[in-house]
Amino acid sequence: METINAEILTLTYGSIVRQLISDYEDVDEVNKQLEKMGYNIGQRLIDEYLARSKTTSCSDFKEVAERIAHVGFRMFLNTSARVAAWAPDGRSCSLILEDNPLTDFVELPEQLRGLSYSNILCGVIRGALEMVNIDAECSFVRDSLRGDDATELRLTFVAAAPEAYPYKDDD
Amino acid sequence: MVCFTFYIFNRKGVCQYYHEWSRSKPSREGGSKQEDFKLMFGLFWSMKTFSAAMDPKGTSKPQVGVPMRAGQGCAFRSFRTDKYKLHFMESPSGIKFVLTTDPSVGDMTTALHHIYSVPFVNQVLKNPLYVPGEPFLFESFASALNKYMRTLGLLT
Amino acid sequence: MFSSRTQGGVVDRSLVRPRVEVNLSTFSYLFSELIQYCQARVSNIGELERRLDIVGFGVGVRLLELLSYRERSSRRDLKLLDALRFVHTTLWRYLFGRPAKDLEQSNNAEDEYMISDVDLFITKYISVPKEMGHLNCAAFVAGIVRGALDGAGFPSRVTAHNVAVPGQSQAKTTLLIKFDALVLQREQRLPSS
Repeated sequence: METINAEILTLTYGSIVRQLISDYEDVDEVNKQLEKMGYNIGQRLIDEYLARSKTTSCSDFKEVAERIAHVGFRMFLNTSARVAAWAPDGRSCSLILEDNPLTDFVELPEQLRGLSYSNILCGVIRGALEMVNIDAECSFVRDSLRGDDATELRLTFVAAAPEAYPYKDDD
Repeated sequence: MVCFTFYIFNRKGVCQYYHEWSRSKPSREGGSKQEDFKLMFGLFWSMKTFSAAMDPKGTSKPQVGVPMRAGQGCAFRSFRTDKYKLHFMESPSGIKFVLTTDPSVGDMTTALHHIYSVPFVNQVLKNPLYVPGEPFLFESFASALNKYMRTLGLLT
Repeated sequence: MFSSRTQGGVVDRSLVRPRVEVNLSTFSYLFSELIQYCQARVSNIGELERRLDIVGFGVGVRLLELLSYRERSSRRDLKLLDALRFVHTTLWRYLFGRPAKDLEQSNNAEDEYMISDVDLFITKYISVPKEMGHLNCAAFVAGIVRGALDGAGFPSRVTAHNVAVPGQSQAKTTLLIKFDALVLQREQRLPSS
């Protein structure tokens, strides 16, 4: 596997976030845009994940969450996450990041309090899962950048769609 | 020439990539490329669903007419006629790789998986100009595909 | 003002730390998305390259601080050639794992220098379709270099060019660095060492 110095990724990401802030001048819009960029990345990255890990299919949402936490984060960010706080119905859980390489060197100024700096990660997960027919929601609940004691993403299962024949008979 | 045609379809039935090494006639005289792609899609879709439904060993196999989940049921890999063989591989994300060759060619599952995991990942997914799910035409992918087919001895 | 809100926050962490690697793919996906994002907001290739340059500039300014701190403590380059050598050797090695292939002065102008190399990971997976024939993604690298030079007090214009090499299938990337007039005026006032 070819690699680069993680700091180059960190600094490039930081520079992109600054660019978005200057383009939108609105923190909520920036959060949305970061999520969208992540979503697009997830749609590409999923196939590298599947091809490399030789994943066939996951039996349930628990397995999906475990694979994201242990294989996905390791493969693309060289870090890992812990799966915790499962809802009793097994439809939502938390991913707690041990270390977030995107936020190295980063300190948020007061006026950017509302910025979900790493929101791109939520988009990546949503985009990637959508490609394997799982609709899910993902958002930050705690972020050590905002002074929380940990970085925690909440992942919620919405639906799993079967594959339908895309054409109508009379097309 | 042992390789005839190669297709990549997304999970919504759009043909994202088509390569033709050798083909004497389209499926219908005067028919469009799009019509042709749709027929090909229908062909392997039916093979996939019917072969899963007819699986004599499957216990929890999908029923005919009921939409399947990706990866559900047995995996359809190829069929062979006296004139050609059609090879098929589907990624868990529903991307479908189709290759037609001479009937004498052996199992191509590993080869199609290689095309998916190396040239498709490197030359397509990482190309900034690729839009997921949309048709693409990248010279670098075409040359990687041809090069790989040559190393397999399927192209001269 | 410089205290961190949380313990173990960014200011408390040492800037000197072991090098951590990540999958090159992650960078490629992020960079691809940057191009898609920029593409939707520009009307021509020149503007697209300018945007890549700006994002690169932000990286370059910070890299200069980071590398100066780590590699040379507080010494500051005053001479133009030292600054160029820093880009050619230190910065390049940090980014690409080796010094750049060439560093030369332009024959045409004394304020112009060229740094050339092949096989930069930034451009590795990028095949530009014909309708975008002139897009050069190395504009991002040009931005990094411009940022690093600017941070060091050497404002300049840096542009990226693909140059065909006779006998080679792969074009090389040349960064053309043109220093601001004030840099050269200052240079002439410095005592030669």
